[in-house]
Amino acid sequence: MEPTTPTPQPRLKKVLCIEDEHFISELYTRALTRAGYEVDVQLDGQKGLAAAQTDVYDIILLDLMVPSITGIEILRTLRDPRETPKMHARIIITTNLEQRDDVRADIEHQADGYLVKAEITPHQLVEFLGRLES
Amino acid sequence: MDFFSKYRSQIHTKTMLLMLVLQVFVVGSGWLLYLTNRTDMMQTLAAMSVLALCGTILFARLVTHTATEPIHMVWQAIQHIAPHGEAQPAPKVESLGAGQELVSNLVNHIYQMASVVDDIERTNAKKIQDIHTNFVANTLPLPFLVLDKSDTIVYVNEAAVSYFAVPLDELEGKNVYTALDLSFSDDQTLASWLKEARVSSVTSRSKWERVRIGLPGQKDTRQFDLAAHYNKANPMGYETMLVLFDHTEVYSQDDQAMSFVALSVHELRTPLTLLRGYIEVFDEELGPNLNGELKDFMKKMDASAQQLAAFVDNILNVAKIEDNQLTLQLHEEKWEDVLRTVVNDLRLRAGVRGVTIKATVARDLPTVGVDRYSIYEVVANLLDNAIKYAKGTKEVHLNAVLNKDGVVETSIKDFGLGIDATILPHIFDKFYRNHRNRAQIGGTGLGLYLSRAIVLAHGGQISVSSKVNEGSTFTFTVLPYSKLAEQGKTGDTNGISRGAHGWIKNHSMYRE
Repeated sequence: MEPTTPTPQPRLKKVLCIEDEHFISELYTRALTRAGYEVDVQLDGQKGLAAAQTDVYDIILLDLMVPSITGIEILRTLRDPRETPKMHARIIITTNLEQRDDVRADIEHQADGYLVKAEITPHQLVEFLGRLES
Repeated sequence: MDFFSKYRSQIHTKTMLLMLVLQVFVVGSGWLLYLTNRTDMMQTLAAMSVLALCGTILFARLVTHTATEPIHMVWQAIQHIAPHGEAQPAPKVESLGAGQELVSNLVNHIYQMASVVDDIERTNAKKIQDIHTNFVANTLPLPFLVLDKSDTIVYVNEAAVSYFAVPLDELEGKNVYTALDLSFSDDQTLASWLKEARVSSVTSRSKWERVRIGLPGQKDTRQFDLAAHYNKANPMGYETMLVLFDHTEVYSQDDQAMSFVALSVHELRTPLTLLRGYIEVFDEELGPNLNGELKDFMKKMDASAQQLAAFVDNILNVAKIEDNQLTLQLHEEKWEDVLRTVVNDLRLRAGVRGVTIKATVARDLPTVGVDRYSIYEVVANLLDNAIKYAKGTKEVHLNAVLNKDGVVETSIKDFGLGIDATILPHIFDKFYRNHRNRAQIGGTGLGLYLSRAIVLAHGGQISVSSKVNEGSTFTFTVLPYSKLAEQGKTGDTNGISRGAHGWIKNHSMYRE
């Protein structure tokens, strides 16, 4: 774990974090903001989906267990061109929920990344998002 | 003239005839006696009286026999058909002189009445049996249906009517498939089974789990297990019996749901995520200003959080293996990359215990076919164990080579405590740990059990050699991707699905 080094401004910089665990979104926002990202947080699934559909974000961090609508539902809606005609954001699943392996494979297939939150630190999340640009 | 009058006149004639013969005999013989012997009147009268007495006795016997024999035969006939008592042979009516017709007529009547009574008794017994059957079927606390050979529902019990929540007349007399909207979890359905049974069996049984039924006017489907019995030869035409076992509650919980383990894992991971996040923040902010000891504590705290996260993964994976839910997605991977990821992740944990991981990977290794998540667990568990059991020694060695069988062999060696020979055969058992070591080393004994299951699911082998106080070496193999693709009959680069207990059946690649 090295101290954060100043990173160049990321190209994909607008991040939507759909996450109902306030402390986690706080930690992620802190790390991402320091790395030059702009972060919006939505604690509710429906509101998160509505925000995601505005198509102003480059990256969407999507928790699978959020209030009012499941993350899988959000993912499906965002990936369905009839529901969300314009969608260019990268969708990264961030979850602590364990899926059945076949479900997980399916989710991974639809998303651009899949992270188990307990297995990464905020700094590692930043590194991961950095690799999306390449 | 009826049989009885005829019988009476027969007796009458016979008696008259006998009387006449008797009189002629007595009077004739008296007269003869008187004329031939010239005896006096008194003697003749005495002789005649004796003769008349003897004749009367004989006559009475004859008449009695003739008159009572028919009654005897009727009695015999009744005894013959009587249900209880000693068995009596049927009377021989044809041997009867007087009253033969009357008796045979009476006997026939008796026999007819007996058979009528018998029929009534039999019908009653059957009725009682029917009432019993109906009672049992109707009060059976499980939905129960009977189909005939054209799949028409011929009987539905009360439990079924209330379960399907439709009136009886929408079920009875209707085709089962139109009356009930059934869906099965796979290709083997009631219809396909019945079709096969009708061709190839006289009787057959089957059962299905997780059958769903959509009910009219109800949003939610019901889910049940279904048991069926088929009998082609049923005399009543009751060809197929169906019994339903409702599991709607359990199955819909399963559907939405998370097992206890999955839920616990989620609850454990959230605080772990935070813990690891805050440790990182503290390290970033305070790290440069901490003294050596505090820095060390910070690292230990971080290593502990990592270890806990890894253990949570172990619990989850063991639960998956037990439930036969672990599915591997085998992809072509560079083995060196996989090993490097694990070694990097474990460096902190090794560092806080003063152990260095020395990794040597042969240059000529082919790509391997592995599920990167699962095989990561194997290497991480084995390395973690080696670090823990190193105890005072400084190094843990990791070596990967292509062995003589053409598979990639990886060994992880420590120079620490070692394992007693008596324990070695049980080392991959679940929860098995060395009692002597338990006090000194943390852990649950899940890691090796899990590692073995994952390695075997990959088509590899795992083994151990050890000597007390000299250390242990765990060795496992994984298949080069080319070999794996060969087993799968194709070089599919999209990956291969496998279960912890064998090949995953639904993968199209393995369908015949």
